[in-house]
Amino acid sequence: MDGSIPRTAVLQADDLRKAYGKRPALRGLSFALLPGRVLGFLGPNGAGKTTAIRILTTILEPDAGHFTVDGVDSDHPQRIRQRIGVLPESLGLPRHVTALEYLTFFGGLYGLSANQAKSNALALLDEVGLRKRAQSLIGSYSRGMRQRLGIARALVNDPAVVFLDEPTLGLDPRGQQDLLALVRSVSRERHVGVVLCSHALSEVEGVCDDVVILSLGQVVAKGSVAEVLAQARGNFTQGAGVRIQVPPEAVERARRLLEGLPFVQTVEAQADRGGWLRVGMTEMLDEDAYLQSGNQALADLIGSSIPVLSFETHGGRLGEVFLQLTEGAGS
Amino acid sequence: MSTQEAGNTRVRPAWWLVFSREMTDLWMGGKALNLVLVFSVLLGVVAFVLATNSELSLIPPKEMVFEMLRLSMAAAGFICLIIGADSLSGERERATLEGLLLTPASRREIVAGKFLAAISPWPATLAISLPYWALLSQGDEAFAQAALWGSVLGTFLVPALAAIGMLVSFWSNTNRNSMFVSLGIYLLILVPSQLPGSAQAGSVGQLLKKVSPMEATYHFVEKIIVNSRTVSEVSVFLIAPVALAVISIGILIWYAPPRLGLEAGMMSKRIKGRGVAVAVLAGLLLTAFGPAPLQAQESPGSDGSLEISIDTEVATVRTGDPVLFTTAVANTSDEQSPPVIVAMNIINLDSDGDVVDPEDWSPERTQYVTPMAPGNSVQLSWRVNAILEGDYMVYMVLVPEPDGQQSTSHPVASPGIHLTVDPFTRLNPGGVLPIVIAIPTLLMAAVGFVMWRQRRRINQVDAD
Repeated sequence: MDGSIPRTAVLQADDLRKAYGKRPALRGLSFALLPGRVLGFLGPNGAGKTTAIRILTTILEPDAGHFTVDGVDSDHPQRIRQRIGVLPESLGLPRHVTALEYLTFFGGLYGLSANQAKSNALALLDEVGLRKRAQSLIGSYSRGMRQRLGIARALVNDPAVVFLDEPTLGLDPRGQQDLLALVRSVSRERHVGVVLCSHALSEVEGVCDDVVILSLGQVVAKGSVAEVLAQARGNFTQGAGVRIQVPPEAVERARRLLEGLPFVQTVEAQADRGGWLRVGMTEMLDEDAYLQSGNQALADLIGSSIPVLSFETHGGRLGEVFLQLTEGAGS
Repeated sequence: MSTQEAGNTRVRPAWWLVFSREMTDLWMGGKALNLVLVFSVLLGVVAFVLATNSELSLIPPKEMVFEMLRLSMAAAGFICLIIGADSLSGERERATLEGLLLTPASRREIVAGKFLAAISPWPATLAISLPYWALLSQGDEAFAQAALWGSVLGTFLVPALAAIGMLVSFWSNTNRNSMFVSLGIYLLILVPSQLPGSAQAGSVGQLLKKVSPMEATYHFVEKIIVNSRTVSEVSVFLIAPVALAVISIGILIWYAPPRLGLEAGMMSKRIKGRGVAVAVLAGLLLTAFGPAPLQAQESPGSDGSLEISIDTEVATVRTGDPVLFTTAVANTSDEQSPPVIVAMNIINLDSDGDVVDPEDWSPERTQYVTPMAPGNSVQLSWRVNAILEGDYMVYMVLVPEPDGQQSTSHPVASPGIHLTVDPFTRLNPGGVLPIVIAIPTLLMAAVGFVMWRQRRRINQVDAD
């Protein structure tokens, strides 16, 4: 994803702005989402994510700017609602109806006949793994099942774009993993664009193709996950480095060896933390030089018969990029 | 293809889908059913009390029917108001509104579907009320009039209250606020009908009677049912309930839907200010116009030579039984008597007992006798209903009409009837008990069935 917006984008936002009174909530949001891709929407609390999602789902009107969904302009909210599916953060589900009745009702609201809505509902419940509980009252569902049902509801109208707001909130690790796998498969198999809002940066990194990071209503980074990471690494001038884990008894030898390398500025041994060494590097010209230096350090350690148990590029995780870019913002 | 299958291939309008879902939620979820159950119990208790009073001839059938109709409409309006007040703010609180707003269904259809569901208790409460009205009318034509005008006016008043509840809900983010404000508005609407009769007598009181939707409705129905007035005589009282319905439903269906959002609609400061001003003005008007002044009367005088006798000296009856007796008024002079007024009075002989209000004991306390020729007499029949147990004296007073404003006359008292009233309790006054028991029991069975069905479905799931 770059500045030029592809013609085939299923969701395209141009300079969206919104203020509540004198307080700006969104200051020029522009991005595009291609079909079959998952876009992570990140930002600290108060960054404008919810405002952006509400505008894009036609719940709120922007003060300025416009957007299109599957070629339909934001001037036609009712037609846009035909083309989007939404799983809101606060998923209100009635307790006294079954999942099948619930999805059939929503199918009807999207213009399906009762028969069509019912067969569509059964197919969706099958897709999200709830077919066996189709006749169960929703009140008896677990949190994970409710989220799956919410995703099924978001797919009732076979949308071009699906918005998922904190879909894994409150789920156990297994539930999170299963749900993200479902999101991935929905995106790939249905070829829909997915906008995923989440605070869990590791999950965004794991499942998203693209990312938009908002801070104080402004876009501070956007592009593919790899592009955003590289962009952030390119900003490192001081303190860029790697973390290496070796056996605790080899920490001292490893430290001496690393300190002798020309591109290493500091080595901080963390023996009390399972043999971790934090290696600070000298200023690099570009990302390639940074990666090559890391490789060289590993090769020298292995060449000296020091086992490398673990390796991380410091500053190479989305979470760190997020913190770096949104420093000082949020609650 | 069966008819049902053919029907299932049809695309249903969004308002119908929302209405169906709301109906399921209201009735199968138990909320409306429980409220209607309470309504039936309330009606049963009041019907029983009224029937008991009827046994004592305290209230004629027409008035009982009117009182029941009044209660039915007030309670049904309250139920629909409460349901309306929950409809939008409740969905906001439960976070289910967003799902609806995200569909292509138009806001107007969503509101219309919810409104139709909110007024669904009205036909149910009307159906429950009809047997009570029929029973208490005791064959009087009042039942037909109550059924007709209760249905017609209730169909304006009750949906108007539901619409008001929904509008408050539209402007509320929390259910608590919505309920409080709705109840406040309901009380304001109800206040004029609760004013004492003297406060309604002045010109402002009369105006209030016409502009207050609930009071105007009651007044119209009372005049038709109890006082046998024609519709054209009291048609002016139809304006307020019809206007309220048109305005509130109009605002709900045309103004509110485009502004329906996740956050409560904002009322402008100007509208808020005007609302407060109207409420303050209404309060001032209510307090400014007190009871109408009473007119004092001078006592009449007497010209003598008139006698009154009574055919009964002692009577012992049970509560609820009538006492029938006759008095004779005789002109013992050799001149024609003036017109004569005969008044009945009852006193409690027990100094610690309740003071008797003779109006409650007799449908006719005063009779007028035209001038009698010398030596003539007139027989007058009387009826007293024994209402409370105790020891009483019933006596008559003969009052010759005075000649003019500057003259008076001397009243003459009859011998008394020493009346002893023994206690008597009837378990089924007016035959109302079967209905009082049957309707709430049936509704309780329905509530039980719904709860059992829900429990069974959950248990089935657990077994799976």
